[in-house]
Amino acid sequence: MNNFVQIENFGRIAPYAELFVQGIIVTVMLSVCTVAIGFVLAIILSAMRMSNFCPFAFLGLDKEGHQRERGLGVAIGKFNPLAFLATAYVEILRSTPVIVQVAIIYYGVFGALFELPSFTFFGFIKFDRFFPGVVALGMNSGAYLCEIMRSGIQSIDGGQTEAARSLGMSWFQNMKYIIMPQAIKNILPAIANEFVVIIKESAITYTIGVQDIMSAVNAVRGATFIIIEPLLVATAIYFCLCFPTSKLIAHFERRMSRGDKR
Amino acid sequence: METRDKIIQVTDLEKHYNFGAIKALDGVTAEIDKGDVVVVIGPSGSGKSTFLRSLNLLEEPTGGAIIFDGVDITKKKYKDENGKWVKVNMDLHRQKMGMVFQHFNLFPHKTIMENMILAPVKVKKVPEEEAKKKALELLKRVGLEDRADAYPIQLSGGQKQRIAIVRALMMEPEVMLFDEPTSALDPEMVGEVLDVMKQLADEGMTMVVVTHEMGFAREVGNRVLFMADGKLLEQGTPEDIFEKPQHPRLQEFLSKVL
Repeated sequence: MNNFVQIENFGRIAPYAELFVQGIIVTVMLSVCTVAIGFVLAIILSAMRMSNFCPFAFLGLDKEGHQRERGLGVAIGKFNPLAFLATAYVEILRSTPVIVQVAIIYYGVFGALFELPSFTFFGFIKFDRFFPGVVALGMNSGAYLCEIMRSGIQSIDGGQTEAARSLGMSWFQNMKYIIMPQAIKNILPAIANEFVVIIKESAITYTIGVQDIMSAVNAVRGATFIIIEPLLVATAIYFCLCFPTSKLIAHFERRMSRGDKR
Repeated sequence: METRDKIIQVTDLEKHYNFGAIKALDGVTAEIDKGDVVVVIGPSGSGKSTFLRSLNLLEEPTGGAIIFDGVDITKKKYKDENGKWVKVNMDLHRQKMGMVFQHFNLFPHKTIMENMILAPVKVKKVPEEEAKKKALELLKRVGLEDRADAYPIQLSGGQKQRIAIVRALMMEPEVMLFDEPTSALDPEMVGEVLDVMKQLADEGMTMVVVTHEMGFAREVGNRVLFMADGKLLEQGTPEDIFEKPQHPRLQEFLSKVL
């Protein structure tokens, strides 16, 4: 009966240490790019969801220009195509597995529709694998970040909007000067937490051949037929990336709430 | 008969929920003249707050009309004298109506001074220096000039409400709407807020006040509206309302609160 862990196996996988170092760099870069894309996407999506763009609003008005109370025209008038698209996007991305999304982006979008140039940067990152991975994860985290932003904005007391609007501020001015400065404080820690989630979730991209930490494990397994020890190394690496990051976030979160003037 | 200068004319105002199943406002008709101090009283759930909030469309009425400065603001757009469709710019009308809320609604991330100059500077494009000067004058009037750089959290409820009042005054409104301005205050702070409001009334500001302060209604108001169940049941001078109430609902209400 073999032991669960054999110490000498760590010695046998030591020559492959460089793979793990490269894996760390790929994972961190992947996560940073993903959160950046996700953040921009989320801003666009949540702006779409909260917009009051109703191109058919006139159908809900009667001859004198009053808003009517009921009828088909009112229902169509309230339809906001931007919000509908954004909501559909968020719900679809949140209700399907990431691994499927990554595969569809890699094999479907970039496999069939677009040809990606195949070159490597930093000497070991394959662009035609890395880029689809970033796009897929970014699209996914954009959906989650959008929900975070929406809830952060909705957590601001409605009285703030009422006060701003009653002073004559427009919807946009209210957002810019009153709601966003307060909402950002609630949102930032959640966005930082999303970064930690992405570090872990990015492991899924090894299925399309991105050479992150997880793919280092598989490379070592293929070369040496050792499986448990590389996995333990990967676990330790992921923990060392995520745990300090979330502790750091918690620290800043406390400091920010200390300065809360409410 | 003295000349009457109508500022707001409300006709048959309705606010229905669930297609008429719930009637928060059920046909309210009222006029507010320049210089009026109109006090709205009534039991809770009677629609007085809804009525007040409808005046600057924080609640969108489902029927009736509100003519403010010659424009029916309940319409999204209207035909002008040339027969052209004009969009009703609600932000423009709201600038002329100051509003004070029960829960103050000061902006917590801004200092008192920033709270006061934000709307004039960003909306009316008043130069910042000018706005600051005016803000200091107003702060002096309510005795809070030394708190200009404080944050709202550092103020008491009464101070916050006084700031909220002068913040609304910064926009130089034609009408001031007060939505139960003293209901969230400790009893000892009610007086200082009512004093500011009294001062405003003496200066001739047109005011619509929803309140439970019957003393204020009697002393400062020149017209009292009594609302119940979304209807305006009785209106008149404070003497009429408090000394010779006609409607049984009003008599019952007054017997409970006085």
